Amino acid sequence: MSSSTQSGTEGAGTGGYRPPRPLIKLIIAIVAVLVVSNVVTGLAVYYASLPPVSGAKVVTVVGPWAGNEKDAFLPVMDQFARTTGISYTFTTTRQEDLQTSLPNQFAAGQSPADLIFMPSAFIKTYAGQGYVTSLTGTIGPSTYKPGALDQVTANSAIWGGAYTGKVKPGFWYRVSFFQAHGLTPPTTWSQFTTLLANLKVIAGVKNPIISGDGVGWPLSDVTEHFIATYGGASMHQALTAKTLKWTDTSVHDLFATYLVPTLQAGDWSEPITWDSPGVNLFWNGTYPLYFMGSWITGMVSDPSDLGVFSLPGGVANQGIVFAADYFFVPKFAAHPVEAKRLAAFFASAAAQTTQVRQGGHIATAAGVSITAYPSVDARVAGLLTGKTVLPDLDDTIGGTFQTTFWSQLQLLWSDPTKLDSVLSTIQAAT
Amino acid sequence: MGAPNRARSGPALSFRRLAERSTFFMPAAILLLLLVFYPIATTIILSFFSGSSFVGLGNYGAILQDPATLNPNGLSGGPPYGTLVNNLLWIVIHLPLSLFTGLVLAVLLQRVRGASIIKSFIFLGMVTPLIVIGVLLGFTIEAPVGFVPAFFGSIGLPSLDVNWIAHPTTLLFGLILGSVWSWTGFSTIIYSAGLTTIPKDYFEAARVDGASEWHIFTRITWPLLRPVTLVIVTMSLLWELKLFDIILGATNAGGGVGGAADVLALQMYRYAFVALPPEANKAAAVACMLLLFTTLVAGFLFRRLLTGDAPKPRAARRLATSTRAGE
Repeated sequence: MSSSTQSGTEGAGTGGYRPPRPLIKLIIAIVAVLVVSNVVTGLAVYYASLPPVSGAKVVTVVGPWAGNEKDAFLPVMDQFARTTGISYTFTTTRQEDLQTSLPNQFAAGQSPADLIFMPSAFIKTYAGQGYVTSLTGTIGPSTYKPGALDQVTANSAIWGGAYTGKVKPGFWYRVSFFQAHGLTPPTTWSQFTTLLANLKVIAGVKNPIISGDGVGWPLSDVTEHFIATYGGASMHQALTAKTLKWTDTSVHDLFATYLVPTLQAGDWSEPITWDSPGVNLFWNGTYPLYFMGSWITGMVSDPSDLGVFSLPGGVANQGIVFAADYFFVPKFAAHPVEAKRLAAFFASAAAQTTQVRQGGHIATAAGVSITAYPSVDARVAGLLTGKTVLPDLDDTIGGTFQTTFWSQLQLLWSDPTKLDSVLSTIQAAT
Repeated sequence: MGAPNRARSGPALSFRRLAERSTFFMPAAILLLLLVFYPIATTIILSFFSGSSFVGLGNYGAILQDPATLNPNGLSGGPPYGTLVNNLLWIVIHLPLSLFTGLVLAVLLQRVRGASIIKSFIFLGMVTPLIVIGVLLGFTIEAPVGFVPAFFGSIGLPSLDVNWIAHPTTLLFGLILGSVWSWTGFSTIIYSAGLTTIPKDYFEAARVDGASEWHIFTRITWPLLRPVTLVIVTMSLLWELKLFDIILGATNAGGGVGGAADVLALQMYRYAFVALPPEANKAAAVACMLLLFTTLVAGFLFRRLLTGDAPKPRAARRLATSTRAGE
């Protein structure tokens, strides 16, 4: 006997039974659940995204610094909070990650912070799409060193500000190491190659120069230094402006004459993670020379033992890369007024003085006293004398050129015989 | 014939049943339409445009001619080969390795006490986020911190005691080989489940007949695991085609040194999110290429499943028959 028969309605017969169908009730229940759950979710999202209602002023900042670099930056934020009464939150996020997440957030009418540090190419691109608040009137060239805002100026408007920057001056060495082995910084290319040869035969030295690695920028920095020294500021500027091809004979010859022979001679280490592993191996003498930005002074235990020299020789009009950290206020900033006050503060000599005192930074603002710099940074500033200050090439172009530039230089370091294909691929990415 | 049968054939109730079914079917259908079919259609349309201009297959042509996709110098000069070849290499190397490692582990663990605990550890690779696996792999093969170069150095192979991240050949093959452990958990678990479905009678009959373990494996176990193998192969192919996280975690958005570890999904990501301004049309074209490849693979699986690709355990039946005959 079937179950339907057992529970069948009297007189309906075995085949006539139809179970009750509470369809309407079920639909009403489903709709009710959907409505309630959506209302609850909507309210939760709405209230979670509301700014604090305490009335306290707050500004949110996203920047790339972590560890020691963050520790050196936070005193500046503290100073801002003290002088303005506006509290802050600072979040560390890599610029490579922001590059992918910000466009989506902008398209959704949101921003993760009120003020964000990003490369100039990104700021200008998204300013053109209407996602960046103009800072014209908030900051201006008059409070900066000449040309500091050029990279974030477009259509007669200022879309971002320049914070402090870092110079990529040349090869760092330990003064005590050089003294112990009777070495001196070179002043000619010949002396440079002799120095490399001498370093190679010192016990404990694996390679004379450590190649920093990571996503790839340390190799691009050193390559730019070769270009700015032996091709001059004009070649660097032309490559940045894309008016000179990477496959041009002059560029090819520069690589083939200076960089490639040192790679083939084993003067460079394999690329090694640039920060702690790289700095430690440099500091303990495994690799006595390190091409790095001026921030290295904040990463070693005794900055006073650091010496630095630029590539020797070179053409008459040499350049030196000065990479400023740029910031902008997104269109969808929750606290645009406070963000603009912070932008003005970052542009001031007061803020940048506090930052450069921490070491490793060079001011872009006018009026920062030379006495504010640690002695090693003052020496770095001295290397700028007589040279054209250049923006970071790959940061300025940005986009897929940058990732291609980095990965192709990694390939060149791995196999210097592939110079032609490396230059062709870089050119194709411009 | 009873009333329910008449009801099913009656037009009025058919309509009612249709309405009932539609009530339950429509929400899912609408969601699929909005969240799956509409984006797919939009992506396909997008791939035929450049900005607002219709370019036909222009984006596809540009991508296929890009050395990042197919590097003509790679055939003679070694890696980088290009994203298309790299995806293929992942399939050719990673698929058989993870498949057979999983099969061997499943068979070995079949009669081991505490096998479930061991399988749980093996399966950890599957539940670990792929981006984490990528970062771990990067550390593992990177000198001087990684143990892989240190291991080869310690056994007297200086040519492999190098920074695997920094060289095109070692980077690509290091990531492929290194990621086998993560996917092996999947094949081990699926094969283990498949092994439990094979009647023990087959094995017992074969042993009574004096069949060696090798013969039992090749004549019974392997043929009866064919449907399971089909699932593993298909799922692995899909995974290897949409590979992204491991490469990004271990290298960078450029696919590492010279783009040696670059894959199609990473190429799509660069077009969409790294390029300034974003090249959405090219990203859409790569997405469509991936969709085509994955559809072909998935279509193959569904066809085999829908047509009932039942195993043909002739050897097992023969063994069982001969056993019965001998009784």
